[in-house]
Amino acid sequence: MQRFHEFRGTPLIACALLVTLVAMPLNIAESAQRDATQIVRDAVNHWRGLSSDGVMTMVIHRPDWERSMTMRAWTKGDDRTLVRVLEPRKDRGNGTLTDEDSMWTYSPKVNRVIKIPSSMMGQSWMGSDFSNKDVARMDDIIDQYDHSILSVEEVDGVTVYEIQSIPHEDAAVVWGREVLRISEDHVVLTHKFYDQDDELVKVLTSLEIGEMGGRVIAQRQRMGKVDTPDEWTEIQVVSVDYEVELKDSLFTLSNLRNPRD
Amino acid sequence: MHRLEILFRLAWRNLWRNHRRTLIMLMAVVLGTWAMIFMTALMRGMVTDVVKDGISALPGHVQVHHPDYRDDPSVANLIAVSDADLSARFNAAGFVKWATRVRVPAVITSEYDSRGVTLLGVDPEYERDLTFVDYDSVSGRFLESADDSGIVIGKKLAETLNTKVGKRIVLMSQDPDNDIADRGFRVVGMFEANIKAFEENYVFAGKTTVQKMLRIGDQVSELVVLGGDYRDVEAEYNKTVELIDGSGEVKRWFELDPYLGSMLGVMDGFVLVWIIVIFLALSFGLVNTLVMAVFERVREIGLMLALGMRPINILGQIVVESSLLLAIGLAIGTGLSWASVQPIKDGIDISIVGDGLDMWGMSSVLYPELLLSDVILANVVVLVLGFLASLSPAWRAANYEPIEAITKV
Repeated sequence: MQRFHEFRGTPLIACALLVTLVAMPLNIAESAQRDATQIVRDAVNHWRGLSSDGVMTMVIHRPDWERSMTMRAWTKGDDRTLVRVLEPRKDRGNGTLTDEDSMWTYSPKVNRVIKIPSSMMGQSWMGSDFSNKDVARMDDIIDQYDHSILSVEEVDGVTVYEIQSIPHEDAAVVWGREVLRISEDHVVLTHKFYDQDDELVKVLTSLEIGEMGGRVIAQRQRMGKVDTPDEWTEIQVVSVDYEVELKDSLFTLSNLRNPRD
Repeated sequence: MHRLEILFRLAWRNLWRNHRRTLIMLMAVVLGTWAMIFMTALMRGMVTDVVKDGISALPGHVQVHHPDYRDDPSVANLIAVSDADLSARFNAAGFVKWATRVRVPAVITSEYDSRGVTLLGVDPEYERDLTFVDYDSVSGRFLESADDSGIVIGKKLAETLNTKVGKRIVLMSQDPDNDIADRGFRVVGMFEANIKAFEENYVFAGKTTVQKMLRIGDQVSELVVLGGDYRDVEAEYNKTVELIDGSGEVKRWFELDPYLGSMLGVMDGFVLVWIIVIFLALSFGLVNTLVMAVFERVREIGLMLALGMRPINILGQIVVESSLLLAIGLAIGTGLSWASVQPIKDGIDISIVGDGLDMWGMSSVLYPELLLSDVILANVVVLVLGFLASLSPAWRAANYEPIEAITKV
C-alpha cells in the first residue's frame, strides 16, 4: 500500500511541476501587463487625485490667431468634473459638467444647460484641440485598452516607462495604438496617438514639470496634430490643490447653471 | 357602303395628287409621333428607375414602424413586439422578401474625420436582394450573420473618413435613456451603390451586435416587406396589417415617400400634356395642308356639288383624307419609335452627366420603358384631335355655293 502511494505520487508531483513551469512565463506576462495597467491607472489617479480644485489657462494657437482662456476646474473621483471659465470676460461663466459618460454645457448668454449628444462628443471642446470625449472620458484609457511595457529607461535619474496601449477590438477608440511615457513619479511625459497604419497623428507633450499642490505634475501640456505643427492647444496649470473637501452638490446641473461658489 | 368606298378612293387619290405636300405633312406626323412615343419611353424609364432606387433605399413596398418613428427616427421609438415574435408571425406568411432591422442615426468616426450616417442593423440572410447593396460586388465581404462584429460602409464614406477594409472605426449613437452608446467596429466590406449619396449615408452592421450596443434587447425599429410588383402592393399591405395586429404603423411605399409616390402620378399627367403639346404644333401643319388642298380644289368641289354630290360627302371626303394621312403617319411613327427603342433596351450610359443626375436620385444608366398604354394614348389623341382639326376646312368646303365655286377664278 505504502509503495503504491509512492508510486502514484511521483507523476502527480511531476505534473504539478510541469504545470508550474508552463504557467510561470504566463504569470510573468500577466503581471507585466498588470504592472503596465497599474502604471497607467496610477498616472491617471495622480493627475486627478481623489479630488482636486485648480485653475488653469488654456491657450489655443492657430496660424493666424491665438486666444487664451482661464478656467477653474474641480474633479472628484474618476467621473465627475466641473469646469468654469473665468477669463476672458465675454466667456465668463461658461461651464462644462461631466458625470460618468455624460456631458453638459452651460452658457449664461443663452441661459440654457445643453446635454452634449453623442453626435457631438467627437467635436472640439471650447474650440481647442481636445475633443469633448477627451474631456469627458479621460479614464477610458485604463480599462478599454491592453497595456504593455515597451521599455524602461533612466532619464536624469528618473525611471521612465514607455507603455503601449492597444484598444480592445470593440472599444470606442479610433486609434491603432497609443504610446505613453510615464515617469516613476506618475507624470505622463508624452502621449502619442497612432492611426491604424501606425502613423503618428497627434501628440500630447508635457513641456514643464514641477511641484504643485504637494505633488509633481505636468504644469504645461501641449496637444497638437503632427501634420499641422502650428496648430496646438496648451494647458498651463496656474494652481491646484489636491484631496480637498468637495461637496457632491458642486457636480449638479443646478450648480452648473447657478454657481454657488 | 358603296358610297364610303367611293369617298375613300377619292380621298386616297386626292392625297397623292400633290404628293410632295403630302409627303412633307406625313414626315411631320411621323416625326411628331416618334417624338411623343420615344421621349415618353425615355421619361418612363427615368421615373421607373428613380422609383425602383427609391424603393430599394426605403427598402421594400410595405413597412412597419412605431407610430412616432417617422417623425423622430430615434432609438426610443421601437416596434412594440419583439423581433423573435415578429419572425414567428412573418416567416409563415409567404412574402417574396421581408426583414426586420434596427435603423437609427449615428456618428461614424475614424482617426481623421467623423460623419453623420444612418446605421442599419440587419440580418444579412433576410436582407439579400432587398437592399441596394449587391452582396457579391462588395469589396471585402458583406456581413455574414446577425451577430457579425464587423461593419460594411460605402466606398465614398470610406474615402471621406480615410479608412479602408480591415481598419477599425467607432460608431456613436444613443440608447433609449439618451445615454451615449458607442462601440468600435472593424470595417469588413465596402459597397458601391448606383446612387452615390447612399454610399455616404448608410452603414450596415449585424442586427444583434447593434441591439447589444444600443441596449435595446430584442427590439427593432422597422419591418420591411417586399412584394412582387411595386405598382400593386395592396395584398402585401393587407396581410401585413393583419399580421402586425395594431402593434405598429403600417405604410405603403408611396405613403412613406410621398415624393416618390406622387412622381408616378405626375408622370402620367405629364405624358398626356407632352403628347398634346406636340400635337398642337402638328395640328397647325395639318390644318394648313388641308386648307390648301381645299382652296386648290374650289372649282372641282363646286362641280361635284353641281353634279349632285351631297355636302356631307364633301365633308366626309376631306375628313377621310386627313384621317388617312394621320393613320399612315402614326403607323410609321409608332414603328419607328419601337425600332429606335430596341437597340437601347439594355440601357444607355449617361454617366457624362451622372453627377447632375445623382442629385435627382437617378442612376447613370437609363433604361427606356415602352408602355403599350402610352403608345395607344398617343395614337388615340392624335387621331381624335386630328379628326376635330380637319372638321373646319372640311366644313368650309362642304358649304360652298356651287355656282360661286365653279365660277371662281
